[in-house]
Amino acid sequence: MNPLQFFWLFLKASLFSFGGLGNLPFLHSDLIGLGWAHESDFVTAIAVGQVSPGPTGLWSISLGYLTYGWLGAVLALVALSLPPLLILVVSAFYQRIEHNSQVQDFVRGLALGIVGLTVTVALNLASSSIFDWGGVVIALAALALAVTRKLPIILILVLAAAAGLLLYGR
Amino acid sequence: MTLHPSLWELFSTWLLMGIQSFGGGSSTLIMIHEACQKHGWLDDEEFVRLWALVQIAPGINLVKFTLLIGRKLRGWPGLAAAGAGLLLPSALVTVLMTAGFTIVQSQPLVQAAMRGVLPAAIGLTLAMGVQMAQPLMTRAYHEGPPRLAVHLLILAAAALLMAVNGVSPVVVMLGAGAAAVLLLAVIQARRVPPQPDEDESSLSGDDL
Repeated sequence: MNPLQFFWLFLKASLFSFGGLGNLPFLHSDLIGLGWAHESDFVTAIAVGQVSPGPTGLWSISLGYLTYGWLGAVLALVALSLPPLLILVVSAFYQRIEHNSQVQDFVRGLALGIVGLTVTVALNLASSSIFDWGGVVIALAALALAVTRKLPIILILVLAAAAGLLLYGR
Repeated sequence: MTLHPSLWELFSTWLLMGIQSFGGGSSTLIMIHEACQKHGWLDDEEFVRLWALVQIAPGINLVKFTLLIGRKLRGWPGLAAAGAGLLLPSALVTVLMTAGFTIVQSQPLVQAAMRGVLPAAIGLTLAMGVQMAQPLMTRAYHEGPPRLAVHLLILAAAALLMAVNGVSPVVVMLGAGAAAVLLLAVIQARRVPPQPDEDESSLSGDDL
C-alpha cells in the first residue's frame, strides 16, 4: 500500500461526500478495486462508527485502522478534516448562490445520487455479512427501527448483538 | 451577538458534545443548539441559516457546522479549537474500539454477536439512505408529480449505474447533479410561468 494514494482515496471520498456515510461508495469502489480492503472491513467499520462517539462520519477512521493500522487511522482523520474547510469558501459566496435555482437543483441531484449509491453499496455489503434468513430479519428490523426513530441507534445495535448471541451462540 | 468565549471553552464544549454522542451524531446537533442558546453564541435564525449552508459543502455536516461556529466566535483559532474538540477525542475512541474489536474478534461469542451486529449495520446504512431521501422526496411531492418522477428516476438510475461493474461513483454523482439541473429546469419551465416562489427554508433535519 502506498500512503499517499491511501490518503488521496480517503480525501477524494470525503470531497464528494455529503453527510455521514456519503464517502462509503467511493471508498468501497476504490479500496475493493485495489484489493486493499475486504467487504467485511467495511461492515465492521460502519458498525463501529455507529457505536463510537462523535459523528457517524468517523466510521472511515475505523476503516483506515482496519486496513492500514494506526497510520491508516491518522490519514483517514486528516482526510476527513480537510474538505469541510471548503464550507468557508461556500459561505463567502452564499449570498450570491443562495437563490440560484440551478445551484439548488444541482445539490438536489447530488443528494439523490448519493442515496442511490448508498443503497447499492449497502446491498453489495450484505453479501458479506448476511448469510441466512436470521440475518435478513435483523437487517430489516434495524432498518425499520432506525427509520421510525423508535430506538436510539446504540440500542438497536445492542439488540442486534443479543439476537446474534441467541441465534448463533454455541 | 458577539461574545468571545475562550479557546479552552470552545474546545471543551465541543469535546463534551462529541464524546457524549455515543451511537452516532444525531443528538449532537441538539446539544450544539443548547450550547449556543445557553452561551448566547448564535440566535436561532443564524443557527438555521448556518445549518442550511452546511448542507451544500462537502464533508461531514457536523464538522462543517462546528468549524463555521468556531470561526464565527473566535476566528481561525476558534475554528481549530472547536474542530479539534469535536474530532480528536472521538476519533481516538473510535480507533481504540476498532483495535479492541480486532483483538477479540476470533472469540466464538464475539463472532456470534457480530453475526447480529453486522446485518444490523447494513440495515442502519439503508436507513441513513432513507432518511436522506425523505426530505428531498417530501419537497418533490409538493412540487407535483412530474418533479417527483424526476427525483425517483435520478435516484433509481444512480443505484442501477452503481450496480454496473466499473462505473465510478464520481461519474454517477456528477451525472445525477447534471441530470437534476437539466430535467428540473425543463419541467419548471412548463409548469408555472415566471414566479419567484422558492422560499421554504431548507431546514430539514437531514442526516448528520
